Amino acid sequence: MVTKSHPEEGLTQAIDSSADAGERVVYEVGFHVVPTIPEDGVAGVVEKVRQALGSAEIISEQFPKKIVLAYTVERANVGRRDKYNDAYFGFIKFALEREAIPAFEISLRGMRDVLRFLLIETVREDITQAPRRAVFASDRLEGETIKKPEAEAEKTGPVSDADIDKSIDALVA
Amino acid sequence: MPTKDTYVAQFQRIDYKDTEILKKFLNPHGKIMPRRRTGLSAPNQRALAEAVKRARFMALLPYIVR
Repeated sequence: MVTKSHPEEGLTQAIDSSADAGERVVYEVGFHVVPTIPEDGVAGVVEKVRQALGSAEIISEQFPKKIVLAYTVERANVGRRDKYNDAYFGFIKFALEREAIPAFEISLRGMRDVLRFLLIETVREDITQAPRRAVFASDRLEGETIKKPEAEAEKTGPVSDADIDKSIDALVA
Repeated sequence: MPTKDTYVAQFQRIDYKDTEILKKFLNPHGKIMPRRRTGLSAPNQRALAEAVKRARFMALLPYIVR
């Protein structure tokens, strides 16, 4: 139970959590599958993750794809450290009761084929598909490519000695 | 007041998997740009920071770029 300094907020929290009991909450689990398993073995790992979810309602999922990791991930493995530079990354969005989440996390931790995972609370809508629009500071920039300001064209033609002397004096001064 | 080189954008939602979007808000060292540079509202800047940190944990983005 989250304690809050404001008594009214604490009361609201208590009411909310009692209303949530037994209700399904939308979560998303993103996970890396170790690259040492062959590509056709990834489906088996995904199936294990789905089994760990039990009676959860699957909202959407992305089958793991091989990606290059941004840094080397190390994991302890019986007296040595395994290093991974790539992995199969996939995610599953699902709805499940809040009470069932700790058991799911424990079962994911126990899977040696899952290198790393992230479990977050999210919304049912697909947020990656939501329209997103950049608002620029100035209307001038919207929909336009910023152009390099044009330099003044250099004057060509014969230059008198007096002009050259004048410019040299200006540079020296 | 945003300066002319400020990238002013407001997200409807930001996801840690959208690494291409997130990269626009990182400096060449991989650090999160400050609010005065991104021009985001305070809740959006917090959402950005959280998404970047999640992406870093999942090795989708680097913690540092040397």
